[in-house]
Amino acid sequence: MGAKEAVRRRWAALGWAYGLLLAFGVFFVAPFVMGFLASLKTDPLEWPFRLAFPQVSPKNWAAAWRLGQAGSGDPWLGGMRPGRQVALEVVYFVPRGVEPTLLAEIPRRKPGAGMGAVFETPYASDHVTLEGPIPLERRPAHQEEGEIIRYRLVLRYQGEGPFLERVPLDLEAPRGMVLVEATLDPTRFERRGRVASWDNVTPGLLGYVFHSYVRAFRETRSLETGESLFLRWTLNSFLIAFLKVLTTLVFASMAGYALARLRFPGRQALFLFMLFTMMVPGQVTFISNYLVLRDGIFGLSTLFGVETLLNTYTGLILSGLVGASAVFIMKQFFESIPREVEEAALIDGATPLQTLFRIVLPMSTPALGALAILTFQGTWNEFFWPFIVLTSPREIYTLPIGLLSFRNAYGQVGDWGLILAGGFFSMIPVLILFAVFQRYFVEGVNVGGVKE
Amino acid sequence: MRIKARTLEALYALLLLLPFLFSLGVFFLYAFLRAVYFSFTDYNLFSPPRWVGLANYWALFQEPSFLLALKHTLLYSLVVTSLQTFFALILAIALNRPLRGITFFRTVYYLPSVISTAAASLLLLWLFQRTGLVNQVLSLLFSHLPHLAGFALLFLGLQGALVLWERRRGRRTPFLDPGLAAVSLLGAFLGTSAFQAWGLLQAREVRVDIPWLPTRASFLGLPYPLWAIVLMNTYTTIPTFMVLFLAGLKGIPRTLYEAAALDGATPWIMFSRITVPLLRPVLFLVITLGLIGTLQLFDQVLFVGGSGGAPLESTITLAYYVYGNVFPSGATPRVGLASAAALVLAGLTLVIVLLQRRFGVGERGWS
Repeated sequence: MGAKEAVRRRWAALGWAYGLLLAFGVFFVAPFVMGFLASLKTDPLEWPFRLAFPQVSPKNWAAAWRLGQAGSGDPWLGGMRPGRQVALEVVYFVPRGVEPTLLAEIPRRKPGAGMGAVFETPYASDHVTLEGPIPLERRPAHQEEGEIIRYRLVLRYQGEGPFLERVPLDLEAPRGMVLVEATLDPTRFERRGRVASWDNVTPGLLGYVFHSYVRAFRETRSLETGESLFLRWTLNSFLIAFLKVLTTLVFASMAGYALARLRFPGRQALFLFMLFTMMVPGQVTFISNYLVLRDGIFGLSTLFGVETLLNTYTGLILSGLVGASAVFIMKQFFESIPREVEEAALIDGATPLQTLFRIVLPMSTPALGALAILTFQGTWNEFFWPFIVLTSPREIYTLPIGLLSFRNAYGQVGDWGLILAGGFFSMIPVLILFAVFQRYFVEGVNVGGVKE
Repeated sequence: MRIKARTLEALYALLLLLPFLFSLGVFFLYAFLRAVYFSFTDYNLFSPPRWVGLANYWALFQEPSFLLALKHTLLYSLVVTSLQTFFALILAIALNRPLRGITFFRTVYYLPSVISTAAASLLLLWLFQRTGLVNQVLSLLFSHLPHLAGFALLFLGLQGALVLWERRRGRRTPFLDPGLAAVSLLGAFLGTSAFQAWGLLQAREVRVDIPWLPTRASFLGLPYPLWAIVLMNTYTTIPTFMVLFLAGLKGIPRTLYEAAALDGATPWIMFSRITVPLLRPVLFLVITLGLIGTLQLFDQVLFVGGSGGAPLESTITLAYYVYGNVFPSGATPRVGLASAAALVLAGLTLVIVLLQRRFGVGERGWS
């Protein structure tokens, strides 16, 4: 075998390796990308699944931006304010023998379903007047088989009135007339394609492309305060994750240090017991823990004037101060650093507490970082225990529990675009975190795992 | 008075351990003992518990929904743990080479495992709808089955011919020579496209229409909705375990493989005699973590069930059975029964972990 041959073979092997990597990459990313695309669509369950749809066409982006700007001065989220007007042009093909009669209407459509159906929102049809459709231009087409007609529609919001989040529009044409082109592609066709329907003719760029996201955000609102629940749940999740990272870092270091360095009776037994706790499922302990929180940790909370710790973050944090696996990780890490440094400090008369906080912890940033990330991710994603503790009102939910109530509100009507949007919305913070600290994520598992 | 150094050290230890001991004592030990106590009583959260002895355990194994939950849980756990361990290992071996840009790929692969079970379940609900992506992809595959078969045959034929030709010319060529395989791949692709253009291969009209979620049908003992959860969970946990395996693989000295290669060992022998035995500690860890995780399946059941989703008897698991008996909608809580079921779940976990430690993969490496 010649040297040239060997080189060629090595290159080919490299090519195969990268091909394989790429294929795996597609496998792990494709469901997310496809799901994300589907969350932009009008019908996320369309068959066949198209990759080109109105929400990804630049022509519609430009139109949505312009219409939003005209309707409310806000090109991003659109809507319509009093005193404004927007114009829309549509082009129809009319076959010979068909009378071109285009009927336009602003339908009285209830905005929102599920959670959003509770809120009273003004109807656009009460405030906006429609002018047209006015034929602008007619020309023959398809070898005199028919003609092309361009219409213009003007929507005017005269007088005083509320801000309208969306302005729907229906265009009904007789059978045979086909919509060829429109300033903004219609959201859907109804009645066998005879009715072209727009959910919102003043959407704005974000309101058009991310219509499900905007709806998810607008429709999940607190009944009392009207603030967005999604935002609230996200903030709640952040707060709890932050607090839990804090308690875990401090208490796991303390306990891990004691287990790794100090001699005390029952050390071995405690260690074995920790391993045991990791194997017992949360379903065993949650009944008693629920009762303990209900009664305010043996009535201790009544000293602070609190009857019960259910539905409080205090209860949630206190019941999960530090987990055995976190202590385990810190213990393993402390055992891996040489004793000499600490011994010098101990000889100088430092107490174990001082040694830990002044000397050992500053050396432990990699382990602490990894533990912080692992704890954050764990808390952010935790479902079972918060689901038991936090039941009402909806404002105190964490994001995963909020998603469940969201899913149950929209699952019945099958509004999967909205449900997907909710899911992706909840992924954003953890994805950002992952993008920034990805090294810690991928290596964090190692710190916990391999030293076993 | 001077305290002895030993005592002082123990006191410091106690001080450092205090928060952990509080957590462990109140929210684990006390809770665990109470669960054991509750399991021998009749208790509904409000009136005081009444001692009934072993009646709960007896009742448990008479109750169809518990037996169903037990069966689901065991099967689910077995299937997911095997699948995720197998694929994570394969993937880790494929990734364990010094390639440029490998960290980028690792990051990308890790993506599915950072998202919450809640978000993953929402994605699952969409993927497994009747006209969802899974059915669409299956339809695409089945309708292009002739193309796939043609492609495979062409590839094998071309590769065989090329290798034979090379060997004729006196060169030692393994059947899967990467250079020749690349040529064959290209040839097979062009050939299949040509056949398609000439009309020799035609896509069939196939529409896969599996109702994954709203069904009671089952396959190999597991209902369809649970299969959907199996697929989704395998998909989201592979990356985590892959990273564990990768770390383990790094610890295996390269010289072992080089020595084996000198002795003429095939890749399979190297895999089964070097890689697997030396990975045993990690393998033990991965299987244990996998089992513990899968036996407690709960979140997905709640998401996949619920309004407009799968019926309860197709998704019920032990963890859900426990929850459903403590907080039943519109009925009296049966805490005793739930505690007994939870302890069965705990016992199951312990037994399975100990069993695999005893007979299967030990953590001490090869002996």
